[in-house]
Amino acid sequence: MSYLDAHLLTILLLLPVAGLAIVAAIPAGNDGLVKKAAAGISGAVLLLSIRLWFRFDAGSSELQFVERVPWLPDSGINYIVGVDGLSLPMVLLTGLVFFTGVITMWELTSRVKEYFAFTMALVAGVIGVFIAQDLFFFFLFYELAVLPMYLLIGIWGSTRKEYAAMKLTLYLLAGSALLFPALIGLAHYSGLDTFDMTRLADVTGDWGGKSVLLFVLIWLGFGVLAGLFPFHTWSPVGHVAAPTAVSMLHAGVLMKLGAYGILRVGYTILPEAVVQVAPYMAVLAVCNILYGAFVALGQTDLKYVIGYSSVSHMGVVMLGLATMTSAGISGAVFQMFAHGVMTALFFSTVGFIYDRSHSKTIADFGGLGSQMPRAVSIFIIAGLCGAGVPGLASFWAELLVFMAALKTYPVMGVAIIVGLVLTAIYVLRVFSMAFFGPVNDKWDGLRAADLQGWQILPRAILVAVLLFFGFFPRVLLDVIDGTTTHMLQVF
Amino acid sequence: MADLMLFLPETICLLGALMLFAAQVVGVRYRVVWVLAMLAGALALAASVWTWPLSGEPFYPGIYHVGFFSQFVKTIIAGGFVFVAAISSRPQTVREEAWAELPMFLLLATTGMMMLASAMELVTLYISMELAAYPVYVAVALHRNHDFRGESAVKYMLQGMVASAVTLYGMTFIFGLSGSTYGTDIFLQLDALAGQPLFWLAAVLVLAGFLFKLAAFPFHFWAPDTYQTAPHEVVTFVATASKVAAIAVLCRIAALVAPAGLDAPLLTTVLMWMSVGAMTLGNLAALRQGDLKRLLGYSAVAHAGYVLIGIQTLSATGLTAALFYAIGYAAMSALCFLVVVEVGRDDDLVPIESLAGLHQRAPLLAATLLIGLFGLIGLPPTVGFIGKWFLFSAAIEQGQFVLVLVAAINSAVALYYYLLVIRQAYLVEPVRAAPLHTGMVTLLVAGATTGLVVAMGIVPGWFWTKSVEAVAALM
Repeated sequence: MSYLDAHLLTILLLLPVAGLAIVAAIPAGNDGLVKKAAAGISGAVLLLSIRLWFRFDAGSSELQFVERVPWLPDSGINYIVGVDGLSLPMVLLTGLVFFTGVITMWELTSRVKEYFAFTMALVAGVIGVFIAQDLFFFFLFYELAVLPMYLLIGIWGSTRKEYAAMKLTLYLLAGSALLFPALIGLAHYSGLDTFDMTRLADVTGDWGGKSVLLFVLIWLGFGVLAGLFPFHTWSPVGHVAAPTAVSMLHAGVLMKLGAYGILRVGYTILPEAVVQVAPYMAVLAVCNILYGAFVALGQTDLKYVIGYSSVSHMGVVMLGLATMTSAGISGAVFQMFAHGVMTALFFSTVGFIYDRSHSKTIADFGGLGSQMPRAVSIFIIAGLCGAGVPGLASFWAELLVFMAALKTYPVMGVAIIVGLVLTAIYVLRVFSMAFFGPVNDKWDGLRAADLQGWQILPRAILVAVLLFFGFFPRVLLDVIDGTTTHMLQVF
Repeated sequence: MADLMLFLPETICLLGALMLFAAQVVGVRYRVVWVLAMLAGALALAASVWTWPLSGEPFYPGIYHVGFFSQFVKTIIAGGFVFVAAISSRPQTVREEAWAELPMFLLLATTGMMMLASAMELVTLYISMELAAYPVYVAVALHRNHDFRGESAVKYMLQGMVASAVTLYGMTFIFGLSGSTYGTDIFLQLDALAGQPLFWLAAVLVLAGFLFKLAAFPFHFWAPDTYQTAPHEVVTFVATASKVAAIAVLCRIAALVAPAGLDAPLLTTVLMWMSVGAMTLGNLAALRQGDLKRLLGYSAVAHAGYVLIGIQTLSATGLTAALFYAIGYAAMSALCFLVVVEVGRDDDLVPIESLAGLHQRAPLLAATLLIGLFGLIGLPPTVGFIGKWFLFSAAIEQGQFVLVLVAAINSAVALYYYLLVIRQAYLVEPVRAAPLHTGMVTLLVAGATTGLVVAMGIVPGWFWTKSVEAVAALM
């Protein structure tokens, strides 16, 4: 293995850190250079994550690209990174959303340097969580990802930005407060005094009689970031207030950190507790799906519709996890990836429309479809993906989850079908009211401002990814299944 | 001669204080005094590091112990003094005619704090404690505003004296029970003493004086008022070096009684509830503060609570975590106070709003504040995160799961008021548009301290190993 491949994960992690240093070192007033540096770094992250994908051996359920460096061995802390079928799609997703997000923000003019510096810090944290295999580093990166959010939303946001930023940060740190004792408790009650997640996963003790308590803390703690009902209220508010690329990153990638945390820490280390708690998880997940969809139905603000649709779609992820079946969990991971790409596409387009029209009111748009055909088409692709139309990635994810759920929880299956119908309704409602209604003359001026040239690039990448995995789901599923089927053996 | 070598850092501090006194009598310019103070501090710092490998008991056996723990702590305290001296290039809130006296008093207090770290005998401990306290009482009273002088100095001094009287009272019990004031003698009789509740009551009373310095609940009443109304530079000293000295003594006493302490849970129970009280009260009270220094005062109360988590475990891991956190905390709050000093240079009071638009007026200071506050919140990549991780780990080792949950929820509550400060610095547009110019020396120490806070947060190995060694030298 070449040096690059042997240290691929650490290089991936250090790229945004280096980016932070580079951006900080560029003298003030040199915004163009800052953007180019950010594009370079994010492009490199994307390319390396694609390389990682191709070098990954889908046939193996073992961790790959593992690197170990003793950090504080006496305290059981080691720097361990590695990827398996659960984390690999997430790393690729991060690369995709990071790069497209940077390009989306090319028009930013205020405090450019600080914006990209904070974004780099955020992405470093996100990548770190997805590759860390030591609980200490896992939590360190998790916490690192939380705070730049406050500044990114508070400084560059819109619509009640300070309220949204404060609410979001407080919620997420409240979740961390539950995780702190739980994660340290895992090391202690395992009797191993190590934070090495692979070793903890092999423990089959009774965790000092605390396994259910630990799992519930982990579920709720990470659940806050995953938008778990009833702790989801920060999410629509935060996503609406955040600037375009931050909404993309947050709804697209950060919410996945929460679901990934439940899966990676809770499921692999405490499977015996999952069995006891899963029915409750399923109930809350169904609440997520139905509640999110219902509320999305009644929104007048375009961004809020997407915000609540994320709550609903994350419910699908958590329902998949709650089924405790290979198909359900694979579907959940697939949905994390598909929803991440889809929602990034949503926000990049809504943000584009908002930046030009300064309006997000659905009824106000009327027939925007004839005035901004390109932007609207892209929104429609994302919308169809959200509604689970075949040919787009989400279809397979939702199909897998719903089939698994109907088997495990037949009664709740009915609710899920209602959820599917509701999703279709709120998506079509937006289409008809905002894009295909009577043309509003107010927006005639936008005809010339439609997506053009390089502005199409980030959206085109995301659309292509959705289509690709819509037609070739096995490419992604093969990677995921290798790990989930192995995981299931412990249930 | 060997004795003198062991006593070198303290000697340098004392001579430095005398030199500053002479300089002030002669009437040299403040600029010169400032440079001399930094030099003396740097020398003391170097001497402390130089004495790391030494150990022994200078002058009289059993009274004063020099070992890695004491010298390590002295290094941190000397570092704290250097920091405070470096940012005192223009201590505007101090009466102009008293500028030259400020570094002298602080250096004298530093001597006392260094002696605290070595004192092994009750009377020596008490004398060192007073030597560390009195110069600060005076320094607090040097404020240029007459009303402030009264408020902060009287509160700090009266409560400080009450606390030290309580400590003395506790010492008399211990002497009565054990017939000795020597730490080693008391340690040898520990088995017999541990059975007597009065001994544990006395131990709590002895700790009172140091818990006061640490601003731990219920000895915290002075902190918000004194923080708010004392000269900025003096508060910086109180918030950094003074805290480290207090934690060092708490560690020493905890290590002394640890073998018997876990069988007689009175002490641990009292300390645990003090910790819970300090965290909860400090954080809740800080939520409603509009004055930055006052807010940091309540935050200090809360952090005293976090440190006590480590100390009340009476375990080597817990004390190591407390010592490690003490270094980190001193550095983090030093960063915040550095910004207070710069922003509030011309003002007696520093409301949070005075930070408005700092990102525009002084980007480097804003970044310094951001790192300092990240640390106080307990977020990576700063020492605040890993420090809490160590403290919490030590408590969970003792099975105190609920205590850790309470502490973690407390950190989440605290986030709110720290974010209000960050909000002013980063989100709000400036009220005073003029850029803020910061001196080279200040920027230099800001950079070094930021480096320390981040380095301890990311590669804690060296600092942690040293803390482990220090506590091992203690147990």
